[in-house]
Amino acid sequence: MTTQLWMASSARSTLLATLVLTATSLTFPLKAQGTNAGVQEFDPLSFPGQVVDDVVVPVPSEVFTVLDKLGEPNWRQEVRDLKLPQSSDRILLSLVFGYVVAEGFVAVQAEDKESVKDIGREVIDLAKALGISKSVLPHAQAILDAADQNDWKSIRKEFDLTQKTVRTTMEQMRDEDLAQCVSLGGWLRGTASVTSIVTKTFSADRAELLNQPMLVEHFLSVIGKTPTATREHPLVVKILSGLRDVLTEMESAVDGFTEESVRTIGSKCDSLLSEITAVVK
Amino acid sequence: MHSLSLLLLRLPALWAQALTALLVTLILTPAHASVDDAHSFAMEAAVPFVEQGFIVREDYWNGEIKSGQQLMIKHQLFKGNEYAFWLATANEGAKLDLKVFDDKGKAIEIDQKKAELWSTARVNPPKTGTYTLVFSLTSKTEVGLFWALAYGYR
Repeated sequence: MTTQLWMASSARSTLLATLVLTATSLTFPLKAQGTNAGVQEFDPLSFPGQVVDDVVVPVPSEVFTVLDKLGEPNWRQEVRDLKLPQSSDRILLSLVFGYVVAEGFVAVQAEDKESVKDIGREVIDLAKALGISKSVLPHAQAILDAADQNDWKSIRKEFDLTQKTVRTTMEQMRDEDLAQCVSLGGWLRGTASVTSIVTKTFSADRAELLNQPMLVEHFLSVIGKTPTATREHPLVVKILSGLRDVLTEMESAVDGFTEESVRTIGSKCDSLLSEITAVVK
Repeated sequence: MHSLSLLLLRLPALWAQALTALLVTLILTPAHASVDDAHSFAMEAAVPFVEQGFIVREDYWNGEIKSGQQLMIKHQLFKGNEYAFWLATANEGAKLDLKVFDDKGKAIEIDQKKAELWSTARVNPPKTGTYTLVFSLTSKTEVGLFWALAYGYR
């Protein structure tokens, strides 16, 4: 597509330009709308342009930094011992992968060097089990090296890169459903940590961080569109059901989240994470 | 045998001709803009922000857009964080415009700065929730424009 556009600008021949323009109009099926200068009110339902469907799921540390600003959470209490399932089930392994990377973000927040190194090693094992160790190994090694130097900033960056690399590699292998499972596993673990911190020192500001219905809707939508083998996987069925409960809880928090609603979301995420780690084959 | 000797004698000249042809091709070929270039420029725009403590997310959006067309992205923001968005293009002379709306469709205040190939916006979300980013790239000369949108937080 890039080449075609360049050829049009070089005006090599009328025929070529016509072909390029035809290709271009096929590439951009939506009508041009002009600039949006002066727009101050916005109705997404009548948006005339193109909607980018890709949703960037925030990494846990995006929420954790806010919690740090609102107090001094005891992150060491939030670090969990990893008891990972032995399985060859790629759906399960993908969910676990996301979970483990999110656990890495918790360990970074706690500045827990040994946990970070354990997680780095788990990342390597999981990548091997998923058959993607070649692309993940450099990041995992960078995590281990940075942990030796207490370089928390680099570790955080590498965990983000690890997750992105894994998802990209899976997408290249036409395993988009597994890539979504990685994001989902990470989101569940991140949200469980947030609810744990918020319930320990409840405040409206902290609880508001759980106002994430768009992300839950995103997961319900993308996982719901995955191949039958994925969306009807017993574990995925349970997770989708749990996510619907979480969404209901988020949508009913019109006047803000209560301690009870935070606890409900937390216990739902925890029970789903337990399901993920409990599977043994 | 005779023709082979001639060929061997002419080899340096052939190499010179081939090299010249290659150089001419390289000089006459316009530089190819790409989505990767757009992302590189977005990362260039991010440098001063990183120096101020912003953490750049590795995930980003990119693509190709018809000049003047608007694009919409929904994104989760957390109150308490300051966000920076870096919208960049690989096409010279393009005008970039970015706005951010809250879940009620109201434009929220952003600190926007523009350079030749990118536009940056700082956002302090007043609430935690879903925000809508609406942006467009306009060019007087190009039909399709490559873009990338990255973000960071602190």
